Amino acid sequence: MAYRARLKEFDDILNQDVIDLNSLRKLSFQGIPDDQGKRAKCWRLLLNYLPLEKEKWDTQLEKKRALYKQFIEEMVVMPGEKESNGDVTMGDHPLSINPESEWSTFFKDNEVLLQIDKDVRRLCPDISFFQQPTEFPCLEIVNSNDIKRLHTRVQRRVLNCANVERKGLGITKIALSVKKACEDYAPMAEGKEAHWEVVERILFLYAKLNPGQGYVQGMNEIIGPIYHAFASDPDILFREHAESDSFFCFTNLMSEIRDFFIKSLDETDHGINKMMNRMLVQLKNSDMDVWLRFQQLELKPQYYSFRWITLLLSQEFPLPDVLRIWDSLFSDESRFDFLIYVCCGMIVILRNQLLSGDFPSNLKLLQNFPPMDVQDIISKAVELSKQKIF
Amino acid sequence: MAKKTYDLLFKLLLIGDSGVGKTCILFRFSDDAFTTTFISTIGIDFKIKTVELGGKKIKLQIWDTAGQERFHTITTSYYRGAMGIMLVYDITNEKSFENIVKWLRNIDEHANEDVEKMILGNKCDMSDKRTVSKERGETIAREHGIRFMETSAKANINIERAFSELAGAILEKTAGREPGDPADRVYVDRRQQPSTTKSCCN
Ligand SMILES: Nc1nc2c(ncn2[C@@H]2O[C@H](COP(=O)(O)OP(=O)(O)OP(=O)(O)O)[C@@H](O)[C@H]2O)c(=O)[nH]1
Ligand SMILES: [Mg+2]
Repeated sequence: MAYRARLKEFDDILNQDVIDLNSLRKLSFQGIPDDQGKRAKCWRLLLNYLPLEKEKWDTQLEKKRALYKQFIEEMVVMPGEKESNGDVTMGDHPLSINPESEWSTFFKDNEVLLQIDKDVRRLCPDISFFQQPTEFPCLEIVNSNDIKRLHTRVQRRVLNCANVERKGLGITKIALSVKKACEDYAPMAEGKEAHWEVVERILFLYAKLNPGQGYVQGMNEIIGPIYHAFASDPDILFREHAESDSFFCFTNLMSEIRDFFIKSLDETDHGINKMMNRMLVQLKNSDMDVWLRFQQLELKPQYYSFRWITLLLSQEFPLPDVLRIWDSLFSDESRFDFLIYVCCGMIVILRNQLLSGDFPSNLKLLQNFPPMDVQDIISKAVELSKQKIF
Repeated sequence: MAKKTYDLLFKLLLIGDSGVGKTCILFRFSDDAFTTTFISTIGIDFKIKTVELGGKKIKLQIWDTAGQERFHTITTSYYRGAMGIMLVYDITNEKSFENIVKWLRNIDEHANEDVEKMILGNKCDMSDKRTVSKERGETIAREHGIRFMETSAKANINIERAFSELAGAILEKTAGREPGDPADRVYVDRRQQPSTTKSCCN
């Protein structure tokens, strides 16, 4: 009954009036049980979304969820409001060159949206979860005759380019009529919404609220597992708010890793290049032979570890393994040191193959990490983290 | 594994806007399959395929890059070693076609001067959604003196042909040179040539 005992250990910590963060970290580092919504609960704490004092939870949740609702209202629902009444005779209209124009913002937003849209449709294709309808759609949006669905906006935009100059009519109308004809992506019925649409909204709001970063490809791979964990919470009271809760957890997590996503910060202390260098140094310390071999082959860390680090390994493993790895990463007090060890562990575990392989076979191996028990990788990473050399 | 099972090694690179179908094209070529649901490429991906051309076994090392702006610093570092570059746009996406010019400029800046180039207008199976005519593709290719083809990774149109034409062009270029590492030879020759591309652009 080791599993039962583990669950109880979690309960003991989570039932305290004030959560002991250190104990929670220690325990979660070993992996959080998949059952009873434990993972979602722990992640909310580990990602600083919920305060450690339990009595503050209700107010915090209420406040944040209300705030999120307001974001949706202001940034998703309202802009469409103005558009759908179709009155373009006022000062603000689609062809306005005024940079303050709400239409101008609307079109700029759509650039961002277009990229998000492409990516959320390509999210975790190995599982069907994101294609399925959510139990908790955003009602104002799904009952808007498709007008307020974010992806409707981008489909329209693409068509706008082709149509607006020629006809010079009200944009919305032309595009809408064309849209119906060439929908190639199974749309959800009125009143329904797929999980990927929810993720699309989260990413869009994040981009709007963080204009310095906007949306960068790969962010979808960060929100994906968090949203998945929250939206599968057996507790309906939490599942219902998976969208807003995961939005804030994602925002908190991004505040720690956003430098990976920003080109101009590549060379800074928390930029991706520094991280890849740290990984290489660690590899040299952990396994000189492999390091030398990579040197010899000119197999640079950018070729494989750029994606590993930027996405916190979310593209390298199947979702359940990613969740398990993230339990440990989020429990790491000095995030994201342990990530470096996991990356090195992955390499060291393959050392025999890597030492005998040539450049292409090694690179292929690293870019398509072979299936294995993720626990072995974590154990290897822990082992490496304990043999401090420098 | 260590034994050489090929005569020549060509390094190819796929570039173009995000979502135009680079990964699908490569997947079709290397695995002869198509799936609609591909995860977006982060950084760079890598595949190998050996083809036979002119009686020679040629190993193609193909780098698939991420399209989004953020990844340009990491992806442009691969241009230098490339002997052939496929520049892909999506015939249903005007913007991706307009950006061809930008990608060509990138090549001028970062790639070897005599790198073989080819423009591909992908997704030609979607004729009902086409916004870029074939003529416009041909025109821009002609203007820059580059090979052009419309392709479909989905319907498997011209994928094989695109790769073998590109490889063929590189082969022609390297043929007649002394044996040895072809990549190095090309590199040395190139340095002595005056730049032609850059002077005509401005
Ligand atoms: N109809 C059609 N769709 C295609 C074709 N090639 C790709 N697609 C679709 O276009 C989408 C994007 O394809 P990818 O190959 O992932 O695009 P990419 O250029 O690699 O994009 P990034 O990795 O983001 O730079 C996929 O969802 C494919 O289904 C094609 O020939 N025909
Ligand atoms: Mg790709």
